[in-house]
Amino acid sequence: MTDYDHTSIDELLQSRARLAIVAFLAGADEADFSAVRDATKMTDGNASVHLRKLEDAGYVAMRKQFVGRKPQTLYALTETGRKALLAYVAHLETLIQPAQSATSKGELK
Amino acid sequence: MTDARDDIAFIRQAIADGRTFALGRSPDILVWGIALAIGFFANYAALKYGAPFSIGWIWLATLILPWAFTLRRAFRRSHNAGSVLVQAVSAVWIGSGIFLTTLTIAANWGDALREGWMNAVAAGAFGFCFFASASLLKLGWMRFVAAGWWLGEIGLFEIRHTAEACLLSGVMMLLLLAGPGLYILLRGARTTP
Repeated sequence: MTDYDHTSIDELLQSRARLAIVAFLAGADEADFSAVRDATKMTDGNASVHLRKLEDAGYVAMRKQFVGRKPQTLYALTETGRKALLAYVAHLETLIQPAQSATSKGELK
Repeated sequence: MTDARDDIAFIRQAIADGRTFALGRSPDILVWGIALAIGFFANYAALKYGAPFSIGWIWLATLILPWAFTLRRAFRRSHNAGSVLVQAVSAVWIGSGIFLTTLTIAANWGDALREGWMNAVAAGAFGFCFFASASLLKLGWMRFVAAGWWLGEIGLFEIRHTAEACLLSGVMMLLLLAGPGLYILLRGARTTP
């Protein structure tokens, strides 16, 4: 077994919905609310709640603009959010690597 | 451990969808694919059946209009140019577009277009653009499009002295440029992680 510490996992990103938002924004750079909602297959309400949590944590930045007369809410991943995602992925990789080395040594067979 | 692998796969897919969304905000590839296909089909028709006017006018329109579209969008989004990767991809495409346009003008000036190699060069350049985009954005399917362009390049070189080279180029513009452009646009509009 590894000395895996589950408390070191970012709780915000343990939710698949928030993980999807953060990862999507990591690729998109910036996206409007409906794009984030559609990409993550969430309802308006769910998307709003998760985006607000990410915003409160400083992972996501929101800005508003007008396209013609129509207001548009845009979201982008902040540097804090990007680092959190990278740390989360690194953590997941540390979970896989010991398993791979154990398998290669025949310990799990 | 499977959960961790699933999570990483899920993250990769969501990031790829985000990148496709970022690309999908620009319908340039679709516009260029359709414009160039029109140019090649018109050229084929002119070679095969004759034309009441110089085919150069069609080519002029099919080059100027998409350039106007691309440059207008490029200037508009200059204040918010997107991620470094998306900017790099734009640079690859715009740089290749300038290369192909200047080469076409120079070759036309020197009356070298008659030798028929330009279609194959254009196909090779598009292959490069798709391959670079695939590598930068980690969109694996684009590598297959690049391979299609490079296979087409060989075919176009083989038939470079025939009117069918224009027909094949037109089909490739529709299938391998407008097609991926439409796919990106649709995926960008409705991404699904």
